[in-house]
Amino acid sequence: MAAIVRISSVCNRGVKPLFYRSSLLSRPLVAQQKDQERSYPLTARIHGSTSLYAGSGSKAASLHWTGERVVSVLLLAMGPAAYYFPGPAVDYSLAAALTLHGHWGIGQVLTDYVHGEPKIKMANAGLFLLSTVTFAGLCYFNYNDVGICKAVALLWSK
Amino acid sequence: MTFTRQGTCLFRPQFGILYRHAVPMGTTANEEMNRFWAKNNKLNRPMSPHLTIYKWSMPMMMSITHRGTGVGLSGGISAFALLALVLPGNYPYYLDLIHSLSVGPALLGLAKFGIAFPLSYHTLNGIRHLFWDSGKGFKIPEVYRSGYVVIALSILTSIAAISYM
Repeated sequence: MAAIVRISSVCNRGVKPLFYRSSLLSRPLVAQQKDQERSYPLTARIHGSTSLYAGSGSKAASLHWTGERVVSVLLLAMGPAAYYFPGPAVDYSLAAALTLHGHWGIGQVLTDYVHGEPKIKMANAGLFLLSTVTFAGLCYFNYNDVGICKAVALLWSK
Repeated sequence: MTFTRQGTCLFRPQFGILYRHAVPMGTTANEEMNRFWAKNNKLNRPMSPHLTIYKWSMPMMMSITHRGTGVGLSGGISAFALLALVLPGNYPYYLDLIHSLSVGPALLGLAKFGIAFPLSYHTLNGIRHLFWDSGKGFKIPEVYRSGYVVIALSILTSIAAISYM
């Protein structure tokens, strides 16, 4: 911890430079020691990345996240698409995108508020059922009735 | 005098010797969350007050509104789909039925606003979320500014949508 004092510095340049030199030398020494102290627990705290532990990591969650954002952007694009190009293509795409976006969205809500293995399973099963019925209903509406785009147009014209 | 920058070496896999104290994560975030809830429920621990004690902020309110409008819109779509499957007549029939009730322009406008506002708010705030997902706009003043913009635009677009046809 003490500064390394060189006899030559005292002899050649007097006392003052010695003080300055000692303070300059002591600080890096302290820093180096702190570095060494800290590096030990730092290695212990390092959690291996997925590349470290062979294959036990799954990319499912990360891919799900990306999928959610992709569907969100697609749904955004379908707004103007529905307005400028109404028809069965947009109707069915809208049915799919709306259902999937809603399914994943409610899924996040359930993950946040429902706890306990059996409750989580039941809630997700219920959600799956609801989303299936929703998609079926929307497709039925597109096929047997006026379709989503026309329905919105009619609703708004009243 | 030199001293190695040990911080950077820790993150390179080839420096295996530095990892001898590292323990790879054996659990996912999901597993850890479930363990937390299982343990605390088993011990019958009461939940700490949170919503009732922390001061509500604009970002907090906007966040829960985003969730609320999302759930509401999703419920509305599901209800619509269910009715489409269950009810006998077709859409124009029911539309005329509602129209024949002659609810009046004020209530009609209110109903349209009730549909338009959640949709525009959720959409615009959704775009704000996508900006955050790309890493932008996290500084606190930016969060508040973008929030106010979303609210203002939501109200404006809803009013525009009502006045449109």
